[in-house]
Amino acid sequence: MNIPLYLAMMKSHGKLIGGFIYGAAAYIVLIIWIYPSIADMKGFNDMIAALPEGMQKLIGMENGINSLSDYVAGEFYGMLFLIILMVFVILTSTRVMARLVDQGSMAYMLATPNSRARVAITQAAVLLTGLALIVGFTTISGIAASEWLIQGYQLDIASFIKLNVITYLIFSSIAGYCFFISSVSNDEKKALGISAGITLLFYMLNMAGKLSDKTEWMLNVSIFKWYDPIKLINNESDAFLIGCSLFISTFLLFMVSVIVFKNRNLPL
Amino acid sequence: MIVVNGLSKRFAEGKGLFNLNFEVRKGEVFGYIGPNGAGKSTTIRHLMGFMKPDSGHSSIDGMDCWNNAARIQEQTGYLPGEIVFLEGMTGLGFLSLIQKLRKQTSTIRRDELIERFQLDVKAPIRKMSKGMKQKVGIIAAFMHEPQVLILDEPTSGLDPLMQRVFIDLILEEKQKNKTILMSSHSFQEIERTCDSAGIIKDGKLVALEDMHLLRTVQRRVFEVKVKSENDMETILHSALDTEVKGERTVHVTVQGNDQEFVQLLSGCEVQHIDTRPQDLEDIFMHYYDRREVAK
Repeated sequence: MNIPLYLAMMKSHGKLIGGFIYGAAAYIVLIIWIYPSIADMKGFNDMIAALPEGMQKLIGMENGINSLSDYVAGEFYGMLFLIILMVFVILTSTRVMARLVDQGSMAYMLATPNSRARVAITQAAVLLTGLALIVGFTTISGIAASEWLIQGYQLDIASFIKLNVITYLIFSSIAGYCFFISSVSNDEKKALGISAGITLLFYMLNMAGKLSDKTEWMLNVSIFKWYDPIKLINNESDAFLIGCSLFISTFLLFMVSVIVFKNRNLPL
Repeated sequence: MIVVNGLSKRFAEGKGLFNLNFEVRKGEVFGYIGPNGAGKSTTIRHLMGFMKPDSGHSSIDGMDCWNNAARIQEQTGYLPGEIVFLEGMTGLGFLSLIQKLRKQTSTIRRDELIERFQLDVKAPIRKMSKGMKQKVGIIAAFMHEPQVLILDEPTSGLDPLMQRVFIDLILEEKQKNKTILMSSHSFQEIERTCDSAGIIKDGKLVALEDMHLLRTVQRRVFEVKVKSENDMETILHSALDTEVKGERTVHVTVQGNDQEFVQLLSGCEVQHIDTRPQDLEDIFMHYYDRREVAK
């Protein structure tokens, strides 16, 4: 890793990261803030129960809303945050590698005594730091909002942090294959298209898999199989095992990306 | 210092580099000439370690360009053919980033070059014109006082004044015993600075000569307008290659026999004289012709 390059890159991606942090944090605060009124609403769970089973699973509410944790996990982590992080990871992974090669500014970095591996590792670090900042700030905002903004409802902080760690690791793995695509691409738009295509496919398989028993197999070929926010926050899944396997796959994906980038022809 | 040995790289559609061989010795300025798409930039990409050759190899200061790319950069300055910088930076911001990437602390040479090229370093790069970007690129390539310089079409985008400043800079570096490889499609630019030149066409090196020889085969056409028909006759009956272009206007082709041409004109009343620029293809064609004749 090269520190000056890392800092310059963090600065140049700062605005985008800042925007995502603002969006995610503001939304989680808002959603926690309105929780008391939903929780007090009589018949909300009956309404959910009236929906078809597949539909309930789809919106992450097969058990209705029983606690603040369920609500935050289902409403925010199961839907909007997923989309925010997907967009961020796909966009940024393309920007840190494929774009620099496509435009040609990578030539300047490689014209300094820094090896390709070093440059690629620095760029990977920028991507993973950005993701960590978004998840980190969202975690803090969530805890702060549940502590100070509303009364009478408790967020299980330990489980909430665990959920965020797994969220981070899931999206690190996604960042891993997007980074790989970005590292082997000469064309920025192509890299963006392929990364977005694969990730959306995973997302759709995940949705389709939840719809009925017949389509359940689809869940198993999607990376989002590992990501069930409600089970995670209720400590119903083996977070440690999931965390470890995600960590290892992330590491391997980034390692392979760096090796491939090191050995390929660059059209600079 | 720079050695290219049997370098081959095949691309689709029969393009690429084919068994390229040349050497640039320490302290030498080597001009690399060829039309667009001939393989100049591809050769430079191999020297920079951006591409891996199919066969053959290239080296700088004894280090292989592919395996030791990063080490080579410690002593090398590079100016890319297409200049694109990181977004959202000022000229100075970019130059200091490159300095940090090189772990270089002294800014004396950098500031001297900025002064020399009259670069407004506070301007954001995205608002810069092509010429200004070129200046930033040149400063980035020269500011760490490298032993080897690899410059891909260095004067493109520069105005004539700045081209002069650049040529002076090259001549100065040459005095300091630096090794320079510069590509160009302009013969004039190469002529003024280089000791030797390689001409590349369709991925093959077609000529590798010292500059003196190239100068003698370089063909220039002068458009001469004289005052009287008599003078016209004198010119047309001389041994020089001439072509009537209009009333009292004639094109005279000079190739190594400049002295003869000047003597001829000294006997005439010349109203106007101008050179017709020659494109590279033309120079090549005549270069081949000349060689055929020599055989």
